[in-house]
Amino acid sequence: MWRLAALLTGGLAMLAGAMLISDVGPLHALRTLFEGSLGSPGAVAGTLRETSPLLLAGVAVFLALRAGLYNIGVEGQLIVGAAAATAIALQVSGPAGILLASLGGMAAGALWAFPAGWIKAYRNGHEVITTIMLNNIAIYFTGWLLSSPMKDPDQQSPTTGTIDAASRLPHVFSNPPLIISSGLVLGIAAVILLALWLKKTVAGYELEAVGANPVAAKYAGINARKSTLLAMASSGAIAGLAGAVQVLAYEGRFYTGFSPGYGFDALGVAILAGSNALGVIPAGLLFGILAKGGTALQIEGVPKGITTVVLGFLILFAAAVRYRQVKAVA
Amino acid sequence: MNFAVEMQGITKRFGGVTALNSVDLQVESQTIHALVGENGAGKTTLMRVLYGASPADEGSITLKGQRVRHLRSKDAIAAGISMVSQHYTVIPELTCLQNLMLGAEDGPIIHPAKSEEKAEALAQRMGFSFDWHRPAAELSPAGAQKLEILKLLWRNAELMILDEPTAMLSPSDSEALFASLHKLTHEGATVILVTHRLPEVLEHCKAVTVLRGGMLVSEKQVSETSGAELTRMIIGADLPSARPSLRNEPGELVLEVSELAVKGDRHNVAVREVSIAIRAGEIVGIAGVDGNGQRELFQALAGVRKVAKSQIRIDGHELQSTADGLKRGLRVIPEDRQEEGVIESWSLESNAALGLQRLSPLAKGALIASQARRRWAATAAELLNTKYVGLSQPMSSLSGGNQQRFVAAKALGLAPRLLLAFQPARGLDIGGTLDLYREIRKACDEGAAALLVSFDLDELLDHCDRILVMNDGTLVDAPPGSSREMIGRLMVGAE
Repeated sequence: MWRLAALLTGGLAMLAGAMLISDVGPLHALRTLFEGSLGSPGAVAGTLRETSPLLLAGVAVFLALRAGLYNIGVEGQLIVGAAAATAIALQVSGPAGILLASLGGMAAGALWAFPAGWIKAYRNGHEVITTIMLNNIAIYFTGWLLSSPMKDPDQQSPTTGTIDAASRLPHVFSNPPLIISSGLVLGIAAVILLALWLKKTVAGYELEAVGANPVAAKYAGINARKSTLLAMASSGAIAGLAGAVQVLAYEGRFYTGFSPGYGFDALGVAILAGSNALGVIPAGLLFGILAKGGTALQIEGVPKGITTVVLGFLILFAAAVRYRQVKAVA
Repeated sequence: MNFAVEMQGITKRFGGVTALNSVDLQVESQTIHALVGENGAGKTTLMRVLYGASPADEGSITLKGQRVRHLRSKDAIAAGISMVSQHYTVIPELTCLQNLMLGAEDGPIIHPAKSEEKAEALAQRMGFSFDWHRPAAELSPAGAQKLEILKLLWRNAELMILDEPTAMLSPSDSEALFASLHKLTHEGATVILVTHRLPEVLEHCKAVTVLRGGMLVSEKQVSETSGAELTRMIIGADLPSARPSLRNEPGELVLEVSELAVKGDRHNVAVREVSIAIRAGEIVGIAGVDGNGQRELFQALAGVRKVAKSQIRIDGHELQSTADGLKRGLRVIPEDRQEEGVIESWSLESNAALGLQRLSPLAKGALIASQARRRWAATAAELLNTKYVGLSQPMSSLSGGNQQRFVAAKALGLAPRLLLAFQPARGLDIGGTLDLYREIRKACDEGAAALLVSFDLDELLDHCDRILVMNDGTLVDAPPGSSREMIGRLMVGAE
């Protein structure tokens, strides 16, 4: 946790430095950043909304990472999950629709991750390459879906129709402008469940063993191939759920450019989280703050990209610190 | 006397632990000097200081009469000091020649023909022969060891440190190795030999330094000491009398293998129609020269290698998978503890459950029983006296010998029925080896059966009830009471 705090301080210092260079008062900019993300109930609601998909997607990346897999395909799995969930929720309304759409999103995500898992387990093809390719397929495939089969004929832009209000995930707290969706609660619950599963169950232990040393895992009676396949498919299912929840809790529809890169930000979230799954929560929140605060900065005339640059540095430093620690132990 | 190296008052601390306490070492030029001591006595630390990998906190080093205050790695290399560690550093994907040159090429452009000529001359000088363009993956352990030595010569090493060079070698390969070492010393090199095998010290070394608990016990000429005295100095007491074993009549059949055939990595037939029967209470050893199918047989019995024809039964049940075997009491001490036996980045406590994770009391249904696991980890660490600070320290912080103790204890402590062990005493000192075999005997007296593969025939003769000999994929029984020479002949297929 101290590591995250140190990183955060360093990041803020860098941000201030960048402001100085771009001729904006750094104190003023930082105040804008924080006021824009945490300063008012409305701002907090926006930050939490940005955080919500990063938690589930972060869990997806983190789970695969523990099994020794770099699932770069969370973005694609999230997109197909969202598309499937929207298609179902447009047909079935009410709680049954919510349930079916969530399950459908998970199934779609798992299906999208499965080839990468299979190729890794049985053909030793690297999952980074295959998942990147599957991302491209997901983007263009859903693009086609939105161009005709799923497109709402009444709309100009490529988008589906809007799902029924009865098919939306309920708010757990609503006192406008501060609204907290149950989507956020789901994300937090998923993080806690993953942390417990890894720590307390034999299956979690075996998954981490495969990630840490597949040969030793084999001697310990663990089927490394099956573990790899299961980990990849589960990771995809959670990514698909992230897409489904994004539709059901926030967006209400599926459209081109649905994800501004949640799946890629989730990679950063999982790396910043360190070795404990619970780290996904503060890391996701940090990303949320910078995303929302970045929008406020943009209004002040500071390019939003600057927060992305700072995030990039933070992840680089986090990865560097992590590497050093690993080396010191060995 | 002309010394190649003099180390004086070397002290090295790691945190609060003093690994070396004012140790002296004097190595006479052009001799083989032995360095002996228990696991954790400080041998490896002292050698790391000598080749500059970890500078000493106090003390001085004199190389060929020149005093060096702070010896760094590049000074050590410049002075011709180099080391072959227990774990070979041959890269399997590269050819023998590429391995030989790696990092010490003659210039930015490689002249293959010239390099090969130079390599061949070097090999001939030592009486070795290599197929330079074959990948190093095809080398036997003895071949890899020879290549390591040539690598040192390629780099103009004058002082060679060899860490347990014969651990993986057959008796005849060991003899050949020592013959080449003697040749090297005649030609001007000096060798420091770190070993647990006292016969090697007595037969091949000129002087011996004994360390215990990070302190110098004694430095003697080998001609002035004896095996018994060395043993006493190493463990600091007289040896407990070996093996008060009560040989019970063997009980019911535990392992039954009939006509097992296994393919090797290169699709060769590694194991040909082998049949084995082992009863409860028995310790059975498989002797043989490395590379005759022992590894493939062992891996097939452990369930980690595909078999062409499966006929393996444990207590009458056909072995389906490793997990299935573990449930029936199969316990494995794998050959390569770091790669196969432990997860180095994990804590001792997490490692303690590895392979036993689904067994009672370490699992309660699908959940991990944390308290039971912690208790078990402490029990396993105590069983063979693993030296450790806390159960949460990473496995990688343990010395090789201590890792081996932990891996072996893990296989012995939780209701073993069939113990499979590949070189279980590798890297263990005399006391550790005796502890290990005492516990194996105890487990067998309580109804387990044990099958051990070792390249150290003396170790098998000392501890096994029966010996099988493996040669070119087939297994034959050594008749009861066979002499060492007779088994040696079976090992090379001469009988």
